[in-house]
This record gives sequence, C-alpha cells and structure tokens, in this order.
Amino acid sequence: MNSISKAQNNSMQWRYFKQKLFFSTVRLSALIIVLTLGGIIFHIVFNGIGVISWDFITQYPTDSMTKGGIMPAIIGTLYLTVGAISVGLPLGIVSAIYLTEYAKQGKIIRIIKVGINCLAGVPSVVFGLFGLGFFVVFLKFGSSILAGSLTLGFLILPTIIGASEEALKSVPQTFREASLALGVSKWQTIFRIVLPNALPGIMTGSILGIGRAAGETAPIMFTAAAFFTSRLPGSIFDEVMALPYHIYVLATAGTNIEQTRPIQFGTVLVLVALVLGVDLIAIIIRSYMRKQKRW
Amino acid sequence: MEGSTIINVNNVNFYYDAFKALIDIKMDFKKNLVTALIGPSGCGKSTLLRLLNRMNDLIDGTRVEGEILFAGQNIYAPDVDPVEIRKKIGMVFQKPNPFPKSIYNNISYGPKLMWNLAKSDIDELVERSLKQAVLWDEVKDILDRSALTLSGGQQQRLCIARALAMKPDVLLMDEPTSALDPISTAKIEELIDELKKDYTIIIVTHNMQQAARISDETAFFYIGKLIEYNKTEKIFTNPDVKHTEDYITGRFG
Repeated sequence: MNSISKAQNNSMQWRYFKQKLFFSTVRLSALIIVLTLGGIIFHIVFNGIGVISWDFITQYPTDSMTKGGIMPAIIGTLYLTVGAISVGLPLGIVSAIYLTEYAKQGKIIRIIKVGINCLAGVPSVVFGLFGLGFFVVFLKFGSSILAGSLTLGFLILPTIIGASEEALKSVPQTFREASLALGVSKWQTIFRIVLPNALPGIMTGSILGIGRAAGETAPIMFTAAAFFTSRLPGSIFDEVMALPYHIYVLATAGTNIEQTRPIQFGTVLVLVALVLGVDLIAIIIRSYMRKQKRW
Repeated sequence: MEGSTIINVNNVNFYYDAFKALIDIKMDFKKNLVTALIGPSGCGKSTLLRLLNRMNDLIDGTRVEGEILFAGQNIYAPDVDPVEIRKKIGMVFQKPNPFPKSIYNNISYGPKLMWNLAKSDIDELVERSLKQAVLWDEVKDILDRSALTLSGGQQQRLCIARALAMKPDVLLMDEPTSALDPISTAKIEELIDELKKDYTIIIVTHNMQQAARISDETAFFYIGKLIEYNKTEKIFTNPDVKHTEDYITGRFG
C-alpha cells in the first residue's frame, strides 16, 4: 500500500470515528432528556398514586388540609385556565392578525415585536405583581378568578401571538391572492380563508399556553388563589383554590408539612395529569383539523 | 360592442420602490378580444396585468403614476375601492390556486359573499360557471370532493370557473398554462377562444405559438417599455419594429 492511499485510509477512519462520536452524543442527549422526564413522572406517580382515590378528587380538604381531597383546587385551576385562554386566545389571535395581515412591515412593527418578545421573558412573579397592582387594587377586582384569569391571560399572550403569527404566515400567499382577485374584501379573506387554514397552528400555541396557565404559581398567588375555601366560587369575583398554589402551601406553609407529603405528591400528580389531559384534547383537535387541510 | 375600448392605459409609470418597472405605457384594450402580452422575463408584462385589477396594491413600496380607465373611470382615483374593481376584472394565476375546499365551495365562495343568493341560485351559478369552463362533465358527480384532488389542468379550469362565477367583464390571465401539460394547455386555449364571446381576455404568455394561436392583438414589451402593439397576425408576420421580429423569431430573449 502506498503512502497516499494509507493517508486516505487513515483520514477515512478518522472521519468515520468522528461520525460515530457525533451520533453517539446525539443519542445520549436524547436519552438523558427521556430519562429525566421518565424519572420525574415515575417519582411523582410512585409517591402520589397512593392517595389518589375518588374521594381525593371530589372532596374538600379536612383537618386543616392534612386530610381529605383537593376538589376545590382542581375546580379553581380549571376556572383559571379557561379564563386565561378566554383572555389570551382572542387577544393573541387579533394581535397576530394585525401584525401579519394589516400592519405595514417597518420600524413600528419591529418595536412591537421586540416588546412581545420582552413580555415573554418577563418573570412570572412580575406578572403577579402587575396583576396585584392593576387588576386587584386599581381596578378593584379584588383577589378573584377575574383578576387571576386576566393576569394569566397576559402571561400566555406572547406564546399565543407567536404561534398565531407563524400559523398565519404559513397560509400560502396564493390563497390570499385568489380570494382578493375575486373581489372579496381583505377582512372577508382573512376571516374565511386565512384564519380557518391557520387554526391548527394556532391550536398549537394554545396548547403551550394552557399548560403554562394551569401550572404557574406566582401570577395567581397575589391575584386569585386562596389558602383555603370551604365552598366553590359563586362568581368571577370570588377567590379560588388552585392546584399549583395548593402544592406550594402544603409544601411550605401547611400545618404539618411532613405528614402531608403524600397529599402533596397526589396533588402534583393530579396537576400533571390535568395539564397532559388538556394537551391531549388539544392535540386530538389539531390533528383532526390537520387532516382536513391538504395543500 | 366588439372592438370598442374597455380599458385605457394612459401614460402609466410604475415603481417598485426606486425601480421603475413600467415606463410611460400607453395602450387600449379592446372589448371581446383576446390580447396577448409578450416579452422576456422582467419586461413588465405581468406587472402591467396586475395593475389592471390593482393586485399590485398588495405589494408594499409600489407606486403608480398616470391613469388606467376602465369603462371611462380611472381605477386609480382616490375614491375607487379596489375590491369593486376586482369584481369586474377577474384574474387567473400562473399556478392553479384552488382553495382547500370542495369543488362546489370553490365556485360558490365569491358569489355567496357578494350577493344574497338562494341555494338554488347558487347551484345554478356553480353549474353554469363549470360548464363555461368546460369542467362540468368531469366534476358534476364529485362536487363535494376537495378541489385539491383534481389534476393540474382541471384545477386551472376550476380557477377560471371560479373567476367567471363573479360575472366579470374582463378576465386577466397570468401565464395560465405554463404549469400545465400540452393536453391541458390545449383545453385551456380552446376555452379562451370560447370565452371571448362574452369576456374581454388579457393574457400574459411566454409561449409565442400560444400568443399567435389564441390572441387577436399582441403587445410586445421590453425592459418596461411597450415596443409594439398591433394585430397578432401583423406582429407575427410583418412586425414594424426589428426588435419585435428578433424576439418572436427567437433571435434573443
């Protein structure tokens, strides 16, 4: 074997080795993520499954929240999540429509977009304080479902705007042209052609939003969450218990932290199941809608 | 009345930002004729076509000078709503672009938004438009199937039917057959010949033979200027300008 082909052979081996190394690293990274997720879920299920029963999810807490169920917290989180989506989704979609369909692309739009990105980076406790100052105190909503929903709604707004923008942009320009060329107005074109075709993508944004709204503690701490209520809320001006806050309370400020450990895990399990459940519903809706569109 | 002017382009200049895409265009389009716009890529023929129904409004940074009269009215006058113009001047695009809806809903989409029609009227309009576009026999049993399941040629005839359902006076066609196979192309060409009885047709094409086959008048553009505009027969047999002859015989471009 001459020296050139030997060198080639060496370089081939080296390249082959590098490729192997790279693929192994990639595989390892994926494995670490899956194992971490699996570990967390296993830990929660293993420690929490013991307390899960029909009574646990349908009864009020008893004995200073050391026994009994977490029903009011489940109901409260559902209210707050639905409220947050009712605020965030319409506002987010309308903002995205303005940004992608109406506004002239230029300096002002860039500034608005930077603003939205900054909003996404604001720590959630800041949203909580804003909600406290603005909705609870200034607008006199008090600590209530309304104030909490509005605060959470603004928290998930950047996520929804971002996803909606992407979804609207992915609708082919030719659809808009075809509609406008028929003498259909811009608003009708957006409403009848662009929006229906963007909906599956917008759903993705809401999925992420729902998960975040249901799981956040800091924004509702000052705006909506009650330490304990012995009845369900009667109106949107009432306080509610909520799962994330309930976990926080049990784990840090409860009457007997060690004794309630199983209840804490049980509550976490319910919260995770709830978020995954809502996500699952949204994913099913989205995949159904995706099947409808074919272009 | 055949041969009377329907669109009158008067000293039109058009800019994409600082780039002047059309230079001092002056031409009349005649009613119930097929007018072909030809010229090499980037000569401004598609730009002119899109000016006629104000589709260039959709592009940021464009500017029009001069006036374009449609039935005597300047369509670029400040009080004119482009939506109204587009109802009267329909358009068919280079690539077939049906909506991801059923065949029926593709046709009924525009009329439903425009007029308050009974179901039976819409049915009738859908059937008539599809018959005009010579597509009815192929799709009459599958009207509720997605338009995207049709072949490219069928899709393009559907787009023509969709435009016709709005009862326009003028039909603009931007290289309507360039994405189609020869058989579909032949069908569209036959269709154009049929449609000129009722509509004025202005068509942009890169295909010289097509222009010669289907058009009554031909306009040759080069780098934003209208070089020659005359009867198609004259342009293709004995053009006045040497430049035109060079182009149609394939010596340049």
